Amino acid sequence: MMRATAASTELVERHRPEILRYLGRMLHDVGDAEDACQDVFLRAHRAVGRLRADSNVRAWLYRIATNRALNVRRSRARAMARVADVDVDALTACTGSAEERADVHAVRRAVESLPPRQRAALVLRRFHGLDYGEIAATLGGNEVAARANVYQAVKKLRAALGET
Amino acid sequence: MKTPHDALIAMLLGDAPASPALERWLATDAGRRELAAYRRTLAALERVVGSPTTGGRQVYYCAVPSPIGRLFVAASDTGLVRVSFPQSERAFVESLRRSLDVVPVRSRERTADIVHQLRAYFAGERRVFDVQLDLSGVSPFQRAVLMAAVSVPAGQVVSYGEIARRIGQPGGSRAVGQALGRNPIPIVIPCHRVIAAGGRIGGYGGGLARKRRLLRLEGALAVGG
Repeated sequence: MMRATAASTELVERHRPEILRYLGRMLHDVGDAEDACQDVFLRAHRAVGRLRADSNVRAWLYRIATNRALNVRRSRARAMARVADVDVDALTACTGSAEERADVHAVRRAVESLPPRQRAALVLRRFHGLDYGEIAATLGGNEVAARANVYQAVKKLRAALGET
Repeated sequence: MKTPHDALIAMLLGDAPASPALERWLATDAGRRELAAYRRTLAALERVVGSPTTGGRQVYYCAVPSPIGRLFVAASDTGLVRVSFPQSERAFVESLRRSLDVVPVRSRERTADIVHQLRAYFAGERRVFDVQLDLSGVSPFQRAVLMAAVSVPAGQVVSYGEIARRIGQPGGSRAVGQALGRNPIPIVIPCHRVIAAGGRIGGYGGGLARKRRLLRLEGALAVGG
């Protein structure tokens, strides 16, 4: 058992920036991501004393953050469309060639309709550099399932571009 | 891998180098088309998922004059994140923002250590860097390649194939070359010490003249070579 000392607090806090970025990517809303991040770290600090010393703290934090993000997404399922349409279009779709804009539009739709666990797995692999063992530790299941989730997600996004 | 699509995705995500079978498929019309389509997919994904800023952590950067031109370095609270070859300050700051989702802040203080070490290196007074690296966001495969490059001491060179062998991916020279080509921290992570088979110099993100110059500085290449 690890005691909630200054060292374990530091162990948790050092991951705050990347967890905040992850929540931003999952929730597409800065305010929601910051709120969710506060919740995640509150929970983490309460629970860190019960964590085994050899635990992968990073994967553990991603797991708490994923659960929080999926809860937020469920509770705002209807409002989500509004947020995504306004914010993300404004951020991503107004630069680049017509073809790139069309790609971004198609991929954004496809990302929004991915099953939440596939989306989480893809974001963790592509943007946070987690390996499949860590993704499995974050989302549950085994490495094979984690990899299958990521590859399925990529194939669905590719299919959204249609024939090229 | 069950299908060429799986193998192609594995290559693009940095999970595995391209097998000979995949290389053959990529040379066909269908293979070329799918490679382009998946690349476009991932580029679009970058803009969809990678862009929302969440206030971002700060990284501190600074310019460093050197014999190979004005370099830029950037460090997070965790460690060094970038060394860049000469470009405009604006372009460097923009690339930090875009690729790392951070808020770049100019700071001599926060970069003093690495600047000092780089100066000593170019003056021929230092051959080993002693800095923390921040490789968050770098894929496990690329990280393995970069760490293998770090293990090559100044004054020596190894081939792409040798790096591939050292990370347990014999036959993965091409993927190794790609991973080194995207080295975010050149010079400190000495990808210039990795050369093509048969002693040919291979490629370099900063241009071959700079690669030769660094190797000469380290004594791995005769003056004039």
